[in-house]
Amino acid sequence: MNPSSTPLSMKDVTRRFRRRVVLDRLSLEVPGASVCALLGPNGAGKSTLMRLALGLLRPDAGAIAVCGRDPVRQASWVRGAVGYVPDRPDVHDWMTPRELFGFLRPQYRVWNDGLVERLAQRFELPQDTRFRSLSRGEGAKAMLVAALAPEPRLLLLDEPFSGLDPVVRHELLQSLLEELAGGEQAALVATHDLDVAARIADRVIVLAEGRVSTSGSVAEVLGSEDEPGRLPHRLYHLLEDAA
Amino acid sequence: MGPYQDDGTATMSWLVDTSLDVPPSRQLVEAVLDAIVRGELAAGAKLPSVRGMAAEALVNANTVAKAYRDLEQMGAVRGENGRGVFVTAAGEEVACAARLDATLDAFRRAALEALRTGHDVTRLTSILLELQARKTA
Repeated sequence: MNPSSTPLSMKDVTRRFRRRVVLDRLSLEVPGASVCALLGPNGAGKSTLMRLALGLLRPDAGAIAVCGRDPVRQASWVRGAVGYVPDRPDVHDWMTPRELFGFLRPQYRVWNDGLVERLAQRFELPQDTRFRSLSRGEGAKAMLVAALAPEPRLLLLDEPFSGLDPVVRHELLQSLLEELAGGEQAALVATHDLDVAARIADRVIVLAEGRVSTSGSVAEVLGSEDEPGRLPHRLYHLLEDAA
Repeated sequence: MGPYQDDGTATMSWLVDTSLDVPPSRQLVEAVLDAIVRGELAAGAKLPSVRGMAAEALVNANTVAKAYRDLEQMGAVRGENGRGVFVTAAGEEVACAARLDATLDAFRRAALEALRTGHDVTRLTSILLELQARKTA
């Protein structure tokens, strides 16, 4: 594969906060059209990894490339290529979803109005209610719509399903899987929810103490799918081994 | 998969259950074969698109694509470029053959249970005949 088309690659990336090493010579790749589940205990460095990929943080050492470009030096290009859903909306709480979409739209080269309308309708998203008055689930839906609208090459989701009720979780998961189906888009999904990981992932990356302890396709990491054992259970053992 | 309603027809639920020992793509293969056997998907019927099935089953599209490939290899369905995936003319036969062992096992277990709880063989046989008559009617 052409390396510049690889949605995300990190090589020997180190990042410290004061004296604490959060990522320690970490290397990974998120290939095109793949959904990677990023697993690991709290504090393993999942969110730091995402902030580095977004260019919000600089690595202390190592190389990061989003579709072959540097997230810090080519920040504006990379911002257009990466959709990001944080675990809680990181927008002004006096904004409404409609205002957020209107604010973001001119900042991107591509903005799919049709997709915004389709998903907003499907989610029954109250577009004129301020974020502070939206439910947890509505906020998450609005953030997912905002992340998908620029048709990013890489989607970063940081614990998108945590704290959602089962119905909303189902709806979000459904739309995410539908939007990712058949496209070249790649996704990196940090999650503690092993049921979600077992459903969506075709690749698994396990972080432990700032390094990748395991990575590969689901078949490579968990063995052939014919092996006995429920997938979430097998993922759990993988995490246990990493800890 | 596919909880039965009171009238005996199954709701078309493709939702994969990750708490089962059966891998997701095989669950989908079995669900489609079941739907063919039950006549919910007749010869020529179109399966949901990969994208639609991914959303229904709540699994990655690649998992659906693998299930569809496996079904195609079995001869139960045929992918027609751009148009979709359809149940073949031989689909029912293939599905029945594939499901034969599994359904026979389930039947044996149910029959054994019925005999143990005291139903007599004549009564069970008449139920069988009645079901067959209803099927051919």
